[in-house]
Amino acid sequence: MLTDAELVLRARQGHQEACREIVVRFERPIYSLVARMLQDPAAAEDLAQEVFIKAFRRLDTYDPQRKFSSWLFKIAHNTTIDYLRRHTPETVPLEAEKDGDHGSLAKVLADGSAADPAAGAERRDMARALERSIALLRPEYRESVVLFYLEGASYQEICEATGLPLGTVKTNLHRARKELAQHMTDLGWGPAETRGARAS
Amino acid sequence: MRSPRHDILDQWLRAEQADRADEAEAALAALFAALPPLEPPAGFADRVLLRAGLTPSAEPAPWSLWTSLWVRGLLALPLLAIGISALWLPPTVHALARLLSVSDLVRWWTASLVGACRWLGSFAGLWDFFLTVGRALATPLETPAVALAMVSCLLVSMIAFRFLRDLITHDRSWIHVDR
Repeated sequence: MLTDAELVLRARQGHQEACREIVVRFERPIYSLVARMLQDPAAAEDLAQEVFIKAFRRLDTYDPQRKFSSWLFKIAHNTTIDYLRRHTPETVPLEAEKDGDHGSLAKVLADGSAADPAAGAERRDMARALERSIALLRPEYRESVVLFYLEGASYQEICEATGLPLGTVKTNLHRARKELAQHMTDLGWGPAETRGARAS
Repeated sequence: MRSPRHDILDQWLRAEQADRADEAEAALAALFAALPPLEPPAGFADRVLLRAGLTPSAEPAPWSLWTSLWVRGLLALPLLAIGISALWLPPTVHALARLLSVSDLVRWWTASLVGACRWLGSFAGLWDFFLTVGRALATPLETPAVALAMVSCLLVSMIAFRFLRDLITHDRSWIHVDR
């Protein structure tokens, strides 16, 4: 299997299969990041495609010494931020989505493998709450959370992608986690004793 | 019964409340780790390549015998030789013309003309046969009763065809295909 750097080299030489392999290898993390940032699946696909197109056009500017995924995340970051700036005010799904929650955490968790319907419903509700909590974060926090917790990016990679200093990234992640917890509690998913206290 | 995922959620939220940052981070990571990331729609890669203009023609052409400069040179040499030899073409044609007499040419022309006339004659015979069959079929139609019966049959068959078509296409809908 070719390394990312070798793939890029072949793509630069005009090999279509190398370009395809790059897309196949990184379509999931890039789409996941863009979709969570935008909260709009239709726009997310369009923008994720744009990320790859931009990457192919700028392949000669890629430094093989750097990690390719970081370089690609950087393009995704810039493209998404540009889009969010152009398309303000940002829409946030306040109500639970019904049929429109294509590709959401709720859909992912609501798999048919759940033997217990109640457990399945609980997982779906929890996923929806998490989804909504992520959507309620400000874009820079949301991006850090998605990259760090969902895409497994390191602090350094987040720094490279977002162009933020290490300290800011750590602070963003800390505050994002706090806000996420607050949103989850507000949505009724607090610890058992909190729920009991609120119920009484 | 509470799910393990719910326990992790509680653990995370309790750790956040108690300001135990490391524990909170680990619990949140465990919670998210259980959630598979979003998958792009099917055919995403194809659409990207299409939009980027990376069609199969962008692939470097494989080596071919005809793309070699040496092979092209070898082909050009005989063509050049043919071009130069064209200088000797008029005297050669003149010599060949002397071999053929005028009477031979007339004989060949006459034979061709006779052959063409024969072919046209056989075609005219075939056409005559079709005319005979057409007249035989048209004669009964001159009778009003037969013509009426023919028109009635045509109408009945058209209505039957329409009914059959409606019956076949009744349950078809593109919606079923799209969903």
